[in-house]
Amino acid sequence: MTNNYAEKMKTMGLNFFTLAMVLVLWTLIAYWQKSPFFATPYDIVLGFVQMVTVGDVEGYRLWSHMLHSLVRVSAGFAAACLVGIPGGLLLGLYPKIYDRTRILVEPIRFISPIAWIPMAIVLLVGFSRYIFVIWVASFFPIFVSTLWSVRQVNAVYVNVARVAGASRLFIIRKIIFPSILPSVIGGMRISLGISWMCIVAAEMIGGQMVGIGRLILKSAMVTRMDLVVVGMISIGFVGYATNELIIFIEKRIFRWRAAVSIE
Amino acid sequence: MANDKNAGSGKLGTFGYNALALSIFILLWTIVSWISESLFLPTPWTVLKSFLDLCTYGDVEGISLGMHIFKSTLRIFAGFVAACILGIPLGILMGLYPRVYDSTKSVIEPIRFIPPVAWIPLVIVLLVGFSRYAFIIWLGAFFPIFIGTLLSVRSVNPTHIDVPRSFGAKRLYIIRKIVIPSTLPDIFTGMRVGMGIGWDCIMAAEMIGGENEGLGVMILKYAELIRIEDIMVGMIVIGAIGFFINEIFIFVERRVFKWKEAIVIS
Amino acid sequence: MERELIDVDMSMKFDNLSVLEDIKFKVHENEFLVIVGPTGCGKTTLARLLGGLSKPSSGHVTIAGEDVNPKIHNVSFVFQEPSCIPWLTIWDDISMGLEIKGNNPQTAETKARIKEVIKLVGLDGFEEYFPKQISGGMKQRVAIARAYATKPDFLLMDEPFGHLDAQTRYLMQIEIMRIWEREKKTVAYITNNIEEAVYLATRIIVLSKLPARIKAEHSINLPRPRDLTGPDFLRIRAEITEQCEVVG
Ligand SMILES: Nc1ncnc2c1ncn2[C@@H]1O[C@H](COP(=O)(O)OP(=O)(O)OP(=O)(O)O)[C@@H](O)[C@H]1O
Ligand SMILES: [Mg+2]
Repeated sequence: MTNNYAEKMKTMGLNFFTLAMVLVLWTLIAYWQKSPFFATPYDIVLGFVQMVTVGDVEGYRLWSHMLHSLVRVSAGFAAACLVGIPGGLLLGLYPKIYDRTRILVEPIRFISPIAWIPMAIVLLVGFSRYIFVIWVASFFPIFVSTLWSVRQVNAVYVNVARVAGASRLFIIRKIIFPSILPSVIGGMRISLGISWMCIVAAEMIGGQMVGIGRLILKSAMVTRMDLVVVGMISIGFVGYATNELIIFIEKRIFRWRAAVSIE
Repeated sequence: MANDKNAGSGKLGTFGYNALALSIFILLWTIVSWISESLFLPTPWTVLKSFLDLCTYGDVEGISLGMHIFKSTLRIFAGFVAACILGIPLGILMGLYPRVYDSTKSVIEPIRFIPPVAWIPLVIVLLVGFSRYAFIIWLGAFFPIFIGTLLSVRSVNPTHIDVPRSFGAKRLYIIRKIVIPSTLPDIFTGMRVGMGIGWDCIMAAEMIGGENEGLGVMILKYAELIRIEDIMVGMIVIGAIGFFINEIFIFVERRVFKWKEAIVIS
Repeated sequence: MERELIDVDMSMKFDNLSVLEDIKFKVHENEFLVIVGPTGCGKTTLARLLGGLSKPSSGHVTIAGEDVNPKIHNVSFVFQEPSCIPWLTIWDDISMGLEIKGNNPQTAETKARIKEVIKLVGLDGFEEYFPKQISGGMKQRVAIARAYATKPDFLLMDEPFGHLDAQTRYLMQIEIMRIWEREKKTVAYITNNIEEAVYLATRIIVLSKLPARIKAEHSINLPRPRDLTGPDFLRIRAEITEQCEVVG
């Protein structure tokens, strides 16, 4: 197994190498271009320091932007879970209701959540706009994956419990819930990814001056490309961290599963 | 499931109930909007009228709905095709040579986690016109296609590869006969997901990008004028196109992948 | 005794795990050699080496004096795992080997050969089916037909019926014997089932537990078709069973 270790070290080394190459190339191009539109990695570090200590043109610091985005996403996401999971469970248990009213729900699924932003701008104000957009964005993956996984619960398990005289509530609690949990969490992870994309769009288009999306846009307006990249990296980082959090929870909950696929 | 027992009449039943649900919904909507007379809740007929007006007279700037649709789909198409052209071969290549992907992860992975929408301001500054949109779509659609292909190549059943190998097949033959057919369904799924994200991106890019043609900017224009009925028309059109494209994908998947055990679609 | 076709003298290691040690034997032309050994002892590893799918860590596996290589030699392999290609019809799957060996699958000659092997394994009428539409036993027959189609000089079968139920397995053994008697081939057949080994073999090689060494060799000269309950059969079977159970 020493072989394995050497292999790992080699891969890590190569990764560092590629990263370094990209950074060097980037710096060179930036120097060669001498354009205000092209920030060097060094500029970005300075920009990051500025964002942490001083803040952007309006004095909002990086953590404040991040916090606002995070709160908006969390609130919308939580609302989507609150409606989507019980809703999916219910309609999954009574498939007839869903089958007979699909025509009302299904078309909405295909409207891009970002297309709801103008509607949210007209109908809502402030914080609620963002929550609504995130809610719309994350609702469907959660709802649909819950609904379908309930419908696919192995009938054998349910019958075993039923033969043993289990009550309906017991079957839901002990059999249906555990077996749908993996795909519910899968749906949640997809939702979260979409939410991070939508919050950026919503912040760019909606009115408030704080939020990572807004930071990126307003920095671009005054060609502070270093701050644009700082914003992009921050949003990538937050998205990554929340995704890892869900994977961590997933692993914790599903130790009984043979293998947890991470993708 | 529910209508397995009496397939013929059951199917008709489900269809009938759906029609009924839709009618009730429209009726309720009409009544409520009629009673409330609210600016924010136009009647279905107002929406229909807006749709016809948008088709014939165009929007406030005289750009017709057809033009908006055309512009958006053209942009999507360009970016999407570019994403396929780059993502599929690259995914196959990096899947076949896992070393390459494993040693460039430090560059690829961070980019993957930056939402494509976050690139829009940067792209606005650096690119102009059509290329802005194509780039954003490309970025949004690329990763699902690329990663889907890559993971799929890595998970080709090794026995399936050993079969031609045991007869002494050349590498290219194995790629052509085994690797590509086996990854095709996953490539397709990647394309379907990529197309969905592409639509999200084009909406955002058009709203932020500052041109005045495209479905995204059209609904934003009407948001500023508080004309809900026109926003609704735009959203319905967006949903209909999204639905239609998804159906095409499913149709092709069913056709091409007859050999699959079962196709799970959600 | 017929001409020696394959000469094996090698050892195999995976990283630090020694799987095969000092494996040394020969395979003669037209013999039905059965290799038995307990599960996990390295039978598949040995089969892959015989088929040229991997290279030994030391020593050699040669066919007619040359290192075995499927690109040069006409060898065929029947895999332990289900190996039907899901996106190919039975016909296309069976024609794969022929195609790789350079036969145009469209010519009348190739088609005739494919028809012939399909008939040989009793799959007529299923040519246009996909693997998902046929049973497990039929899939194994596809794998055998595919391997047979190229008229290999050396046919390797790695527990081809390991996944089947006892009934089907028995029928397939009869069938494989029928095919072998019709189209004589040099066969190396791998199994962990001793009864199957005695039923099929002209010669049996017994492997020990991991790391595998050759523990014993038996020539089986019973008349065919063999009687599973005959006294000689039972005696040989008991003898080999005993050898397998002695701590290796
Ligand atoms: N590619 C590999 N890398 C590392 N170890 C391997 C590899 N292939 C096989 N082994 C090891 O070699 C040993 C023998 O495996 P092999 O598959 O040859 O057994 P087998 O006799 O065919 O077993 P079975 O009867 O269950 O098919 C096992 O301990 C296995 O873990
Ligand atoms: Mg084996």
